[in-house]
Amino acid sequence: MNKTSIVALVAVPLLMLSCIKAEQANTECDIEAVSLHFESPTGIFYHEYDTMQTVISSETDIVFIVRSYANVHSVPLTLRVTEGASIFMLTEDGDETPFQNGSEVDFSDERVCRFHVVSEDKAWSRNYSIKIEHDTPSEGNLTFDFEDYYLDPSGKFYMWSAPEVFTDGVWKNGNPGFKISRSLAKPMEYPSTPVAGGGPDGSACLKLETCDTGPFGKLAGMRIASGSMFNGVFDVSNAIKNALKATQFGSPFEHKPVQMRVWLRYERAEDYWNKAGQTMEGVWDEPDAYVVLYRNEDAEGNKIQLDGNDVLSSPHIVALGRLPHYYNEDGTDKLSDAPIHGVTSEWQEFTIPVEYRDEIDAEVLANRGYSLIIGFASSWQGAHFMGAIGSKLLIDNIQLFCE
Amino acid sequence: MKHIVFTILTLFFLSASVNAQEDRWEKWGPTTGLKGGGFIARVGYVIGGTTPIPLPAEIRKVNGFSPRGGVSLGIDGYKMFTKRWGISAGAHFFWEGFHTNADVKNYYVWLEQEGEVTKGYFTGTNVTNTEMWGVTLPLLATFRMSPRWNVSAGPYLSLYFHQTFSGEVFDNDEGIGYLREDVPTGTKILMSRENPTPYPDNFPEKMQPVALGIEIAFDWKTAKHVNVFGLLDWGMTDIWDRNFEAITFKMYPIYATIGAAYRY
Repeated sequence: MNKTSIVALVAVPLLMLSCIKAEQANTECDIEAVSLHFESPTGIFYHEYDTMQTVISSETDIVFIVRSYANVHSVPLTLRVTEGASIFMLTEDGDETPFQNGSEVDFSDERVCRFHVVSEDKAWSRNYSIKIEHDTPSEGNLTFDFEDYYLDPSGKFYMWSAPEVFTDGVWKNGNPGFKISRSLAKPMEYPSTPVAGGGPDGSACLKLETCDTGPFGKLAGMRIASGSMFNGVFDVSNAIKNALKATQFGSPFEHKPVQMRVWLRYERAEDYWNKAGQTMEGVWDEPDAYVVLYRNEDAEGNKIQLDGNDVLSSPHIVALGRLPHYYNEDGTDKLSDAPIHGVTSEWQEFTIPVEYRDEIDAEVLANRGYSLIIGFASSWQGAHFMGAIGSKLLIDNIQLFCE
Repeated sequence: MKHIVFTILTLFFLSASVNAQEDRWEKWGPTTGLKGGGFIARVGYVIGGTTPIPLPAEIRKVNGFSPRGGVSLGIDGYKMFTKRWGISAGAHFFWEGFHTNADVKNYYVWLEQEGEVTKGYFTGTNVTNTEMWGVTLPLLATFRMSPRWNVSAGPYLSLYFHQTFSGEVFDNDEGIGYLREDVPTGTKILMSRENPTPYPDNFPEKMQPVALGIEIAFDWKTAKHVNVFGLLDWGMTDIWDRNFEAITFKMYPIYATIGAAYRY
């Protein structure tokens, strides 16, 4: 080998490696976490962990819930923002003042405090609101009829209002995740949609449909999206990285549910797919409907958050009611060709009793130490991307009865 | 970058002049006249990459690079008009490519699949693989620096028979990997190496079937009929269709070949 070839061999990688430019300033401007500082937080909050919230990227309205009798005035506030971003507090007349982390902010009378976060490169900014709200004691019995629906701010998909006791007062579902894969889909082509006049009583009902996620879903190994509806948080950031983590189930609840009644109708599609998109012969798609009550704090005071991994299997579950299904001996779900859920293509009212595994601690219950989940899916294995495209579950007039 | 090219050229000329000995001009090849022509059959190893020049600021770190393919078979005809000057033209069939793994920040991606579009700013690790099969047709001016050293330079046209371009994105070694949908304030979609997100498979359709560039070749005559050579093909045209929005910067193929040749 002569000098020519040696030089040539070295030169090309050198050309590629030698010219890394200076790093540009950050363009992002998120509030990633918010902390409030109290001397004794448990007198104000139900849980110590409630003083800190991580903020999901699509969220801009941050609400802390405190005890109904808590006396809140000025509170030291710390915001964790994107590296290099600057924080400004907005006064009521619209002026901006730079905000120093740890400064006291007046949150009295459920005042909405507004913040403006500007990226390091100054080209981008986001507005946030932070508020401390008093808990309003909820009625135990709840009813839901899915009459109050509206388009999300992007106009792409529907959302449904829920009673205040549910997180943010909004039902959650996988529609924001579907938007990532099917940018062209119309609002009525999403997995969770309203049906005006479709209910058993002639009013609006909810339709959950297992949908094809299109070419991007296929690329990501998530070929189907089950229609879903639950209370809690849908963290769209995790929709691709860890879809089971995206569905964070449950909202704190102060009552003891004993029974859910709900009107259901199911149209099963034929071609049942496994995760790889292959037809599984002899397997029928099934809907799911459940009520879960779980302990939301562990012995060390850490927050327990059920997600798609353990929503029906967590050891923290104290009570469970669910549409009937077959299970294997080890308790895992059994795919079947003769399901026993009993939901047909005719509207029927179902009664799902809530069965308790553990004694309920009345004091823990009164201090929001349990969380309630009400969940539905058009494909019961949809969280694992298994199901039949076109399976439809229609839902209306849910009644939750509490002791 | 300019000074690197200058250094390489200086090295070539230095090594050439050391080897120059006047009395050997006849021995090492044709000087002029009808006899001053012939052909060179080349076998070479190709190494290089397809890269934006200069590297955009979005590329923060190159973690890994390895060549793919790397075979070149070619034939050139040459004709010397004077003792030092001549021309050559030929056809070099190649199979070349590379794999690279780079950390990027705020890298704009625009992915289209059957009409569905996902776009935004990606921060994390980006892996790219490309392979190209084709033929390069150079037309070069040859300068004989010394009895045994030739340098040739001139334009070339490459025709690609087959191209692949694939890749995937996931989180970097610090666990950072996400797309901000549409704009830097858009929804943050996390990516992970457990479930990497591949490029759509339609990228090769968006590649130009031809490329133009400049070739520089150095030949050293080691024996009566044997050369060793090194040549550099520097692409001057973007590999992507002009209307391809997935990659916002132009990328150029820059490949070097080293090898041995039979000279007649």
